[in-house]
Amino acid sequence: MEIQLYNITKRFGEVTANDGISLDIRQGEVIALLGENGAGKSTLMKMLFGLYPPDEGSIIINGHETLIDSPQKAMSLGIGMVFQQFNLIPALSVLDNLLLAYPKPPFWTFRRLFGAGAPQRKVLAYLEELAPGLDPNTLVRDLSVGQRQLLELVKVLNLDAKVLILDEPTSVLPPQEAERLWGLIRKLSDAGRSIVLITHKMQDVMACAHRVVVMRSGRLIKTLSREDYNEASLVSLMMGDSNRRSEIDTTPLPEVTGRPPRVLIRNLHAHQGVQSIDDINLNIGAGEILGIAGVSGNGQLLLADALVGLASLTRGEVILDGITLHSASQAPKTSERIAYIPEQPAVNAVAGDLSLTTNVALSHFRQLSFFPAWEPEETLTLNIIHRYQVRPDNPALLAGQLSGGNLQKLVVGRELHGRPDLIVAAYPTMGLDAGAAHDIYQALFAKARDGAAVLWISEDLDDLMAYAHRIAVLQGGQVSGLFDPKTSNRLDIGRAMTGEKKTTTEHIPTPAEAHPRTAS
Amino acid sequence: MESFITELLTLLFAALRSATPVLAVVLGESMTQRSGVINLGVEGQMLLGAMTGFAVASITGDPWLGVLAACAAGIALSMVHAVLVLGCGANQIASGVAVLILGGGLSAYYGIPFVGDKIDTLGNLNHTFVSDIPLLGQFLGPITPTVLITLLAIPVISVFLFRTRTGLRWRSTGESLDITRNLGHNPAPYQLAAIAFGGLMSGFAGAALAVDYTANWVEGMTAGRGLVAVGLVIVARWNPWYALPAALLFGASEALNLKLQSWGVDISPYLLATLPYLIPLSVLILSYRGLRASGGGMPAGLKVVFQSAR
Repeated sequence: MEIQLYNITKRFGEVTANDGISLDIRQGEVIALLGENGAGKSTLMKMLFGLYPPDEGSIIINGHETLIDSPQKAMSLGIGMVFQQFNLIPALSVLDNLLLAYPKPPFWTFRRLFGAGAPQRKVLAYLEELAPGLDPNTLVRDLSVGQRQLLELVKVLNLDAKVLILDEPTSVLPPQEAERLWGLIRKLSDAGRSIVLITHKMQDVMACAHRVVVMRSGRLIKTLSREDYNEASLVSLMMGDSNRRSEIDTTPLPEVTGRPPRVLIRNLHAHQGVQSIDDINLNIGAGEILGIAGVSGNGQLLLADALVGLASLTRGEVILDGITLHSASQAPKTSERIAYIPEQPAVNAVAGDLSLTTNVALSHFRQLSFFPAWEPEETLTLNIIHRYQVRPDNPALLAGQLSGGNLQKLVVGRELHGRPDLIVAAYPTMGLDAGAAHDIYQALFAKARDGAAVLWISEDLDDLMAYAHRIAVLQGGQVSGLFDPKTSNRLDIGRAMTGEKKTTTEHIPTPAEAHPRTAS
Repeated sequence: MESFITELLTLLFAALRSATPVLAVVLGESMTQRSGVINLGVEGQMLLGAMTGFAVASITGDPWLGVLAACAAGIALSMVHAVLVLGCGANQIASGVAVLILGGGLSAYYGIPFVGDKIDTLGNLNHTFVSDIPLLGQFLGPITPTVLITLLAIPVISVFLFRTRTGLRWRSTGESLDITRNLGHNPAPYQLAAIAFGGLMSGFAGAALAVDYTANWVEGMTAGRGLVAVGLVIVARWNPWYALPAALLFGASEALNLKLQSWGVDISPYLLATLPYLIPLSVLILSYRGLRASGGGMPAGLKVVFQSAR
């Protein structure tokens, strides 16, 4: 199957997300669509998958101009897409999830009542190839992220997809699982399927792309084949003139010898819902940036809540500058000495029905008088808005009227204002474009230079290795490793993230096993 | 010793009979909630079912027609909830309360002429082969058809929900509307069917109470059984098999209340009458602690009901 995208343009209001892009996808080829957040990669592929119509341009499949107006149409043409956000129901089993996505269901299928029927065998065929040994009756909530992604891949293959679009597939995977995925992508392309890999990571490109298409600000910058590029040239193409990563000033950890660390986390236990953290012992010195790495869902958010005083501790204590802040014997309480940037600030840190000024004032409401003076609050809000380029720049707007990215900048500004002693930041730059992320990192690390202790939770191992002074890895609610980024390598950290366990379910097939039926 | 066992078995089977209306509602409401819809109006549907069933049985002289009419009345009233929630996007809690009050009012008004009527009952297993079974016969004898039908509904619902493709989509609808839509399925018919099934079961429960169990119609006779059932759905963890012990808990507390009164325990009968509500409530609170820790099988879609007014 050959696909040509011809002169595709897409605008969202004032913003041109794709500007006259032409691209062809050949059979059996792995194309990496490389670019920063907001470069327009996902938009382009969502048009191919029928989620938006292009404003201009056409899609030509096997020589015929084709209108793809819905994902169903795309799937019937043999185009499948795996999104960053999985469409899996955690409370149902692997088999149930696969059956739900199966396109040609008998209306009334009894299963397991009379043994494994034909539909069941068909649905499970690819699963056995891609993840042999995975029990189809396992609940999806018990699967690792990598296994869930395999399951999404199986769903798309069950639909007979000949072109697979993978949106940032490795951004959620620890290094080992990413390597397995690259192997799988190579095998699928050897079997005649085309794969479009949307990514901003150089490793993805180097590992498996036949061709790389670099996008920047909605434009196609260059298409290169394997022989014609190296990592350095791709980085400069992707970033434009400057490579922002090197610009950020993270002064080395100041000498702390002789001084006790500012924050002591001792023997910390807590649980909340299905999450728990056990026996966490960490300390953070003045000016230190302690990075927390780990596959999401391994206790990072509970650790953050426990430090901030939002979750009760079952054992242990948190000591700040020699004073016990939280302990198991006290009810949890927040402190104004701690700044907290929670994950998804737009949801977790602002009240959508209140104005920006009120939202800023709420962070220090204990200091407000009974009849608050609003002018200083408004001035402060305006300062934050200008410093972090929050758009639109009107402090009287309701928070709910701003986009998620802008609210994120507002919350970061609000929390970093003043002189917090401890800063807990959970995924502070997630979903932001490179420029905004850069500004947030710079503000965060400037506070560390001023002497704050910073605990920084991130999923981006590259960022952690570039900026953190130390990296602690959380796995299963425990610290499974403590690393110095200057002397450690990614694979060691990755092993700590996955906990070394070699389970049969995470087995990746050898070439002989994994020959998915050739696309016909 | 023998008399103690007899006493215990009598209590158990009495519990089963008085638990039947509650069991039917728990089964129906579990299915409704499995599709991501909460219907607090089951109490009203039960009352309308009880009144309609009794009236039809009284007019036609055929109690089975009464049962059918009760089911139809339950479905009809549940459609008010369906129109408000699925059609108009109304808040599910508010809509449910409206249905509850509507059912109470309608049944009180239209039921007036039938208060004190005598109807033929559905009969029981006495004088069939069952009553000849040695030892157990005397306990099985008083079992009535609505008890058997409700018990039979448990495996039928379980097979439907957990073994069929339609049941799978039903559950996926309750877990996530977005994902269900992304997979190309339309959740609306499933939610409509789920509300209607809840209406059917609560209407039937009304008939089990008025036509079968008491053979009597009194205004407000369900006395909170429907609302207790909504709580017991949580104890039963949305699972038809666990619905039986959960409902028996209510039935046993009620049987115990009667037993204690007949023994002449020196507690006000008004206080004793709260037992069937107090005991399930305590179990609900205890089991909810466990539920919060584990997630406990709650359909994820239900959380949305409480988070947004849509």
